[in-house]
Parts: sequence; C-alpha cells; structure tokens
Amino acid sequence: MKTIMLVCSAGMSTSLMVSKMKDTAVQRNIDADIFAISASEFDDTLANKDVNVVLLGPQVKFMKKQLAPKLADKNVPIDAINMQHYGMMNGEKVLEQALQLLENK
Amino acid sequence: MQKLMEMLEEKMAPIAMKLDNNRYITAIKDGFFGVMSLLIIGSFFLLLANLPITGYPEFMAKILGDEWKTYFTVPYDVTMNLMTVYVVIAMSRSLAKTYKLDSIACITSAIVAFLILTPMLELKDGGYGIPITNLSASGLFLGMLSAVLVVEIIKFVDKKGWLIKMPDSVPENVSRSFSALIPGLFVIIIFNLIRIGFSLTPFENVQEFVFHYLQLPLLTLGDTLPAMLTSTIFEGTLWSFGIHGSNVVSGILKPIWLTLTAENAAAFSAGETLPYIINYQFYSNFMKIGGFGATFGLAILLLTAAKSSQFKALGKLSIGPSIFGINEPIIFGLPIVLNPLMIIPFILATPIMAVIAYFAMSSGLVPYTNGTNIPWTTPPIISGFIVSGWKGALLNVVQIIVSAGIYYPFFKSADRIAYKKEQDEKE
Repeated sequence: MKTIMLVCSAGMSTSLMVSKMKDTAVQRNIDADIFAISASEFDDTLANKDVNVVLLGPQVKFMKKQLAPKLADKNVPIDAINMQHYGMMNGEKVLEQALQLLENK
Repeated sequence: MQKLMEMLEEKMAPIAMKLDNNRYITAIKDGFFGVMSLLIIGSFFLLLANLPITGYPEFMAKILGDEWKTYFTVPYDVTMNLMTVYVVIAMSRSLAKTYKLDSIACITSAIVAFLILTPMLELKDGGYGIPITNLSASGLFLGMLSAVLVVEIIKFVDKKGWLIKMPDSVPENVSRSFSALIPGLFVIIIFNLIRIGFSLTPFENVQEFVFHYLQLPLLTLGDTLPAMLTSTIFEGTLWSFGIHGSNVVSGILKPIWLTLTAENAAAFSAGETLPYIINYQFYSNFMKIGGFGATFGLAILLLTAAKSSQFKALGKLSIGPSIFGINEPIIFGLPIVLNPLMIIPFILATPIMAVIAYFAMSSGLVPYTNGTNIPWTTPPIISGFIVSGWKGALLNVVQIIVSAGIYYPFFKSADRIAYKKEQDEKE
C-alpha cells in the first residue's frame, strides 16, 4: 500500500486531481491511498499518518524548500506536480510521477 | 523572455512564502474560514426575512402571524451580528495552535479580554446588557486585536515558566485548570488596566477608539476603487507566477471586506440605504467571475472557439469548475502562469470587471450588494441575482461578454500557436 499526499492551498482543485489519480490507480490495479491536505495541516498530518510520498500543487511549489527538511529524516520524497499535468487534471501522469519518486528514493 | 519570467518567479516566491506563513495572517485566515459557514447560513435567513418580492411580507404575515420576521431575524442576529465572538474564538485557537499552547485556555481568555473592553449598557429595569452591535462587525477589529494580544500574553507567561505546578499525583485535568490561572490573571489585569485607562480619556472606551481610529479609516479606504484595483493587480501578479494570489490577498483584506458586507446586511435588515459598493460579494461575485482573472469568458472561448485539440480538451475540462469559480485548470493547463501572452489579459480583466461593476453601481444602474453572504462558489448570474436583483444578474451577463472580448485576441493567437505545434508534430 502506497500513501500519496498532495499539498495545496485551498483544496478545491486538488480534490479533483485526487479523484482523477484514484481512478487511474483503480484502473491500473495499484493499491494506493491518495489524499489532499492544505499546507497548514502539513505538520499535523505528518505526525499522525504514515506518508510515503508528497506532491505539491503548483500553487505552493515555493514551499518545497521549507517542507523538504521535515521529510528528509523520514526518507519521504517530495516534488512539485508539473504545472500543465495539474491544469489538465492528468491523473495518469501525476500518479506516474509519484510512483517514479518512490522508485528513485 | 522565459528566462526573465523564471527569474522573476524566483524573486516572487519568497515574498509569497513570507505572507503565506505569517502567523497573524494565518490566524486571520483561519479565523474567517471558521466563521464563514455561519455567516453564509445567517445571511440566508436575512434574505428570507427581506425577499424583494411585492406582497411577500403580507403573505408571510398571513400564514405565520405578525411576528413572522423574528422567525428569520433571530438566526441572522446570532450568526452575522455576533460574528466578532466567533472570529475571536477561531483566531485565538489558530494562534494557540501555532504556538503550541492550550487552546481552550487561549480561547476563553481571549473572549474574556474582548468582553472586558466591550462597553455595556445599564438596562432600564436594572441589570446590564451588552448591545449586540458591540459584538457585531463594528467590534471586529477590537476583537481581532484582543485575540492576538491575549495569545501573545499567554505565550509570554508560558515562556517565562510562571505557572502553578501541581504534584504529579494530581489528575491532569485539575492541574491544567491551575496552570491556566496565572496567564489568565495576567490577561485580565492587563485588559482591565487598558479599560480603566481609556475610561479616563475623552474616548471613554477602547471600542470607540479602535472603531474611529483604525476600523473606520480602513473601511473607508477599503471601499475605494483605487485600493481595490491596487490589491487586484498585486493578486494577479502573484497568480501569474503560479502563486495562489487570492489566498495571500484575501487573507489580509477579508476582515475589511466582510465588515463592509456585514454593514450592508445590517442596513438591508433595517430597511435603510445600503452604505458600501465594495465588499466581499463585490469582490467574489462581480470581479472574480469564473475565478480570478474573470476567466469565465475565456472558458467559453476554449469550449466553443478553439481549433487546437489541446485547447478543446481544456475547454471541456474547465467549463464545469469555472461555473463554480474554480479556474486552476485554466491557469495551469493553458497555461496562464509564466506565459507572457496570456498574463496581459489575465491581470487586466479583473480590474476591468471592478471598474464596470463600480460605475454600474455608483451611477445607480445596478443596486449595491445587499449583504447576503453567499458562498464564493455560487455560479455567476445566479449570484448576481441574489445579491443585487435581476439587474445584478444582467450585469454578470455583460461582464462575461466583456471578459470573453478581453481574452479573444490573446486566446486566438495562443490557440493558433498550439494548433500549429500540433500540426508540426503530426508531420
């Protein structure tokens, strides 16, 4: 089971992204728990949940520098979602990105 | 050009990060996020008490009796008119969380502190009362300042380690109530001194002072078109670099806009002339049509006039969210971000919407918004109708057409480029 956490600002458009990614995961028979949180919930969620990979919405891409150190000792990879994949709500590509990050860690 | 844009992005990100991570701005954001649902519910009761339909009051009086209005005004009064109490709760909780302090102690102390500074009235038959208006939007800035000051005091006391320590054998709940004694005492003494100090001055009370010297000037400034245009251009600039500009800007300006909304609601409820053109509804329903950048017109163009298959697909994908004011698919998918061609209309469209709506209202063509705090996701035209009647709906229609017009030439050339690229790839 892979836990993929998306971080964004308000949660409106990211929830759409999450449902597209879930659809892809089901189609490809991948056992994954995918969910989105807002940046302010980051610390709490990380303390309570076992997260495998973190993806940042393009709106909060700039937070990568700040969040990465909090994940470093847990060996959890983090990266920003490609802007256009996000805009086109391309669940396939974004899920692929998450899996790649997990593989390369 | 692309290099220049990326360099600017590097420069913008730290500014956005500072603003987005500022603990006070976070507290304000959390504070208003927490009360938003109450304000929305309350304002619907307000609307039901004042539906602008001829014969409606008579009809309601006939079926519900002469007291029918109170059936709706009480829920409105205890939600919108007590908004400051709820904002104080939510803001002090947010700050307490940031500082990792006991949130119940912070919330209760903040309420106490705010009430110490809130003037009371002696009632005719003896007893005291707090006028609802002191807890409504007019006390908002005092409430926000109290919440921040209280949590800072508690943090200070906590840092100094001035606590009553109980032996380990005392149950945790009991020792917690004792450990809150010292910070609570500090808060009450300090706020009481502030209250007494002001009672010796010509202002008589702090609320009066904060209202006249802080809140009123900010509201007067917030209600001007130049202030709105300046903040909007800043918001658009942040978005152009992919940063959630609306989060940053509305985090700071929402207290002002919502106070202006609440003042209009109070006037609407009392049947008086609506005082303010600019407020939260003006911003979310007459400026951000389809989301920031007034991209609803652009979404229609993508859906109906695109030649490239990328834009056609984006049109189908984005029209649904656009109806509810969500336009990240367009902003990131087209993209508008870091795209000099699309940034021009994107930054200009929202201020143009503001100018159109402002003059439509100031000239009397369209009524001011009535203070009904509808969710920002309410689709345009419907939202225009609820807040400003059928003329408001018509204004939304005109704005959508203008928005499509603003985007058209830029959309055409971006579409041509995308189409040509697709053709080249096919060959």
